[in-house]
Amino acid sequence: MGRIVGSVLLAVILSMTSWALAQDTIKIGVVGPRTGPAAATGKAFEEGIAIALDHINAKGGVLGKKLEVVFEDTGGVPEKAASAFEKLATRDKVPIVVGESHSSSALAEIEVANRYKVPFIICEAWHDDITKKNYRWVFRAGPVNSGVVDFYIAPFVKENGFKKVAIVRENSDWGAGIAERTEYNMKNFGLPFVTLKVERESKDFYTELTKLKGENPDIILAYIYGTGLHFFVAQANEVGLSPKSLILDGAGPPSLWDSFWKNVGKAGDLELFISSMHEKVHLTPTSRKFWEDYKKKFGKDPSDYKTRSIYNVVLIAADAINRAKSTNNEAIVEALEKTNLEVTTGIVKFGLKQGSYEYHQWMPPMLVVQWQDQKQVVVFPKEAATGELKRGR
Amino acid sequence: MMKTWISLPLIFLLIFLPFFLSQYWLHVMIISLFYVMMASSWNLIAGYTGQISFAHAAFAGVGAYVSGMLAVNIGIPPWLGIFVGTFVASLLGVGLGYLCIRMGGIYLSLTTLGFSEILRIIITNEDRWTRGTMGLQIPGFFTEYSKMSYYFLFLIVSAVFLFILYRLIHSEMGLSFRAVLNDELAAASSGIDTIRVRILAFTISSAMAGMAGGLYGHYLMLITPDIPSLGQMFLVLAMAVIGGMGSFIGPILGAFVLEVLSEYIRIYGEYHVLLFGLVALGVARFAPEGMVGVIKKRWKVKESP
Amino acid sequence: MAEFLMYFTNGLVIGVINAISAIGVSLIVGIMRVINFAHGELYIFAGYFSYHLSLTFGLSPILAMPLSVFFIFLIGILMERLLIRPTYGDEMYSLIITFVLSIVLQNSALLIFGPYPNKPPALISGSTQIFGLFHYGNQRLLSFGISIGILLFVFYLIKKTWFGKSVRAISQDREMASLMGIDHWRINMISFGLGAALAGSAGVIIAPIFPVTPTGSSAISLTAFVVVVLGGMGSLKGCVVGGLILGILENLGAAYVSTMYRHIFAFIILILVLVFRPWGLFGQKT
Repeated sequence: MGRIVGSVLLAVILSMTSWALAQDTIKIGVVGPRTGPAAATGKAFEEGIAIALDHINAKGGVLGKKLEVVFEDTGGVPEKAASAFEKLATRDKVPIVVGESHSSSALAEIEVANRYKVPFIICEAWHDDITKKNYRWVFRAGPVNSGVVDFYIAPFVKENGFKKVAIVRENSDWGAGIAERTEYNMKNFGLPFVTLKVERESKDFYTELTKLKGENPDIILAYIYGTGLHFFVAQANEVGLSPKSLILDGAGPPSLWDSFWKNVGKAGDLELFISSMHEKVHLTPTSRKFWEDYKKKFGKDPSDYKTRSIYNVVLIAADAINRAKSTNNEAIVEALEKTNLEVTTGIVKFGLKQGSYEYHQWMPPMLVVQWQDQKQVVVFPKEAATGELKRGR
Repeated sequence: MMKTWISLPLIFLLIFLPFFLSQYWLHVMIISLFYVMMASSWNLIAGYTGQISFAHAAFAGVGAYVSGMLAVNIGIPPWLGIFVGTFVASLLGVGLGYLCIRMGGIYLSLTTLGFSEILRIIITNEDRWTRGTMGLQIPGFFTEYSKMSYYFLFLIVSAVFLFILYRLIHSEMGLSFRAVLNDELAAASSGIDTIRVRILAFTISSAMAGMAGGLYGHYLMLITPDIPSLGQMFLVLAMAVIGGMGSFIGPILGAFVLEVLSEYIRIYGEYHVLLFGLVALGVARFAPEGMVGVIKKRWKVKESP
Repeated sequence: MAEFLMYFTNGLVIGVINAISAIGVSLIVGIMRVINFAHGELYIFAGYFSYHLSLTFGLSPILAMPLSVFFIFLIGILMERLLIRPTYGDEMYSLIITFVLSIVLQNSALLIFGPYPNKPPALISGSTQIFGLFHYGNQRLLSFGISIGILLFVFYLIKKTWFGKSVRAISQDREMASLMGIDHWRINMISFGLGAALAGSAGVIIAPIFPVTPTGSSAISLTAFVVVVLGGMGSLKGCVVGGLILGILENLGAAYVSTMYRHIFAFIILILVLVFRPWGLFGQKT
C-alpha cells in the first residue's frame, strides 16, 4: 500500500514542479462569468474577444507575437473571481487582465491585482469604489454608477417630468451603489421616491409588486441584473402595474438577451433600458468595423453591448503592451496612463487625478432605449434620440 | 514497521516540498490541507458512527464568519477569533446533535441540510454585517502576505487534527463509536449510551470544521456564503467517499487526489463537479470502501500467492 | 385588506403545489425509509422537459406536460432499480447516494439545459380581477385547479385501489405484507416512480409561473422535506395540511416581515417541530 501511495504522490509532485513554459505567443487574462446566472455575459465576452483577437492578430499581434487570451470563469461569485484572478497571476503569469461584469467580483479581484501587481482593465463593473480606491494597477474603461445615474438616469427622469419614482434594487454591490446614487439625485430634485431591496436570483416578485402598486409610481428604476429582471417585468404587467408605470432596466443587457421576449411576452413593450450600443448610432469608425466584423463572423447583429465592451478593453490592453514595448507591469501601467486610443465608443483617455472615482476611469457615452413594438428606439439623450418616449396607460 | 516506512519520508516531503513549489502549487497544497481537515473530521461522524451530516460546510462557514466578523467589526485578531469561531461551531453542534440524533439518521440529515440553508439565508440577507454574496474582506493571519507561512500553519493544524482523530478512533471511545455503527442494539445492551456517543462525535467533528473554516477564511481573506454551501459540502463528502469512508487514510487521500485533479480539469468549467459526482456515485454503489478499499484488496491479492 | 387577500391567495396556490411535491417525498419515505435528496432535481428536469417538448419540439403544452411527467416516472423507476434497491436496509448509503445523485443531476441539468431560467409557455394568459379586489394571473389560477385535481387523484389511488392498499400494508408492516402475497419489490419500484412523477407534476405545473433553473432545485427539495416533517413522515393528509401552512406562512411572512426571509420561515417551523412534536402533525408517535 505504501508503494502505491508513494508513487501517486511522486506523480503528483512531478507534475507540480515541471510546469512547462512555452512562449511563442503572448497571453493576456480575461475574467468574467461563464457559468451561473449571468453566463450570458461570458458568451458575449467570448464573442467580443474572438473579434478583437482576429482584428489584432491580422495587424501583426502584439510585440510581433500572436495574442491569445486565458479566460477564467468567475461564476459571477466573488471568491471564485478572486481565485480565478490569482490563477491568472500565479499560474499563467499573464502581463495584464481585462474583463469583469460584476461589481462584487471586481471588488474582490482588485485586491488580488494589487497584491500581485498585475495591471487590470475592467469593462463592465460599475461600482464607484473600484476606481475610487485609487489602486495604481486598476483601470476601468466602462460605465461607473455615479456617471450612469448623474448623466443619464437622473436627467432622463427629470426631463420627462416623472412625478413618483420607485427604485427596486438587487442585493449586490452594484445594486446598492446605483440605488444610493439614484436616491441622492432624487433628493436633490425634490422628487418623492421609494426603494425596495430584492433578492438577485428571485423569481417571484408578486409580494414586492403588490407593495409597489400601493405606492403608485410612474417610473420604476429596476436595478436587477439577470433573468430576474424578465420575471419582474412580466409579473409587473400581470398585477396591472405596468405599462402604466414604465420600467427602466438600469443595467441593460438583460433586456437584450434572446430569452427576453420569450420570458416577458407582450409585457416587454414600452420597457426601457440603458445601453451603450444601438444599431443606428455609430460614434467612431471602429464601431462600424466592429459591427461588420461581428456580422461576418456570427451571421447576426450584435445584441449584448458587453460584447463591444470587452472588445474595447482587449484593444486597449494590446495597444498598451505594444507601446510599453514589453510585458513588464510598471511599463504597461505607464503606457495605459498615456492611452489615447479610438475604440467603438469614443477615444479612451484615463483620468489621472487621484482622490475620486475618476482616477484611471474612462466612461463611454450611454443611451436610454425604449422597446416600441419590439424595435429599439433611443429616447435619451435628446441629441442621440431616434424617437419619442411612449407612455403606457 | 510499514507505517514508519511510509510516514517518515512523507513528513520530510511535506516539510521540504514547499520550497520547490511555485506560488500556484503552494496554493493548491494549502487548499488540499483544508480539505484534509474537513474530510477527515466529517469521516469521524459519517465513517465511524454512520450519521450523515450535511452541515459540515455550514460549520466551516460558522467558523469563518464568526472569526471574520469579529476581526472586521471589533478588531479581534484572527488568532483569537478562530477559537471563538470553533467554540460557536461546537455549541451549535451540541444543539443540533441533541435535537435530532435521538430521532434517527434521516432526521439528522434533514435537519443539518435545513441548518445549512438557514445559515446561507441569514448570511446572504444580513448584508449590513456579512456583506452577503458580495463577500466580506477580512484580515489574514500574517502582516506580510506569504503563502509559505500559510502552508506551514495549515500543515501543523492538519497534523494536530489527524493526531487527535487517530487517538480518538483508537481509544475506548472510538471502539464504542464503531460498536454503535456495527450494531446499535448490541452496543446499547452492552451499556454504551449510543446517543451520547453520537452527539459527542458530532460535536467534535463540528468543532473541527469550525476551526478549519476559520483558517480557510483568513487565508482567502474573502469570505462568502459559498464556504457554507451545499456545493462545498458535496466536495467534502465526495473526498471522503472516494478516498474511503471509515478508514483513517481514506479522506486524506481523497482530499489530495480530488483537489489536485480538480486543478487539472478545471478548464472544463463546472463539469469537474459532475465528474466527481459520477465517480462518487459509482464508488458508493460498487466500492463502498473507496480507494483505500481497492488498494487494500489489490495488495492482498498480490501478496497471497 | 385586498393586499392581505392577495398574499393569502398566493399562499394557497403555492401551498397546494408544495403538497404535491411533498407527497412524492412522503410516499417514498413511508414505504422505503429512503429520503430522496434528488427530489428537487426531478422537479427541475420536468420543467425543462416540458419547456423543450413544447418550444423545441413544438408539442402542445397540454401534451407536453403529462409526457414530461411520464419521462420523470421512468427516470424514477430507473433510479430505484439501479441505485436505490441495493441500499435497502443501509440508511447511510441511501442518504449518500441520493445526495450525490442530486449533485450529479443538478450539474447535468446545467450541462444539458444551460444556466438560464426557462419558462414553458403558459396555457392561458392575462389576469382576472378577484372579488373586484386584486388582479391575479390566470395561469396561477389554472395551476391551482390542476394541482387540486392531482391531489384528489393521488388520494383516490392510495385510499381506494389495490395498489394503494398494498402500499399501506407495506408501510405498516413489511413482513406481514409479504406474507399476504404482496410483491414489495414491484410496489417499491412503482412507488418510487410515482414519487418521482409527483415531483415532476409539481415541476410542470409551476414552471410556467416560476421558471426553473438548475440551481433552484435544493430549495425545492428542502421545502418538500420540511412539509413532510411538519405533516408527519408518511402521512398524506399531513402533506396537504403542511403544504398549505407553509405556503401561506411563507407568503404572509414575506409580505409583512421581510421578503428576503421568505424561505427561512420553513426552517423555523422545522426546528420548532423537532423540539415540540418530532413525529409531526399527523405522524405516528413511536
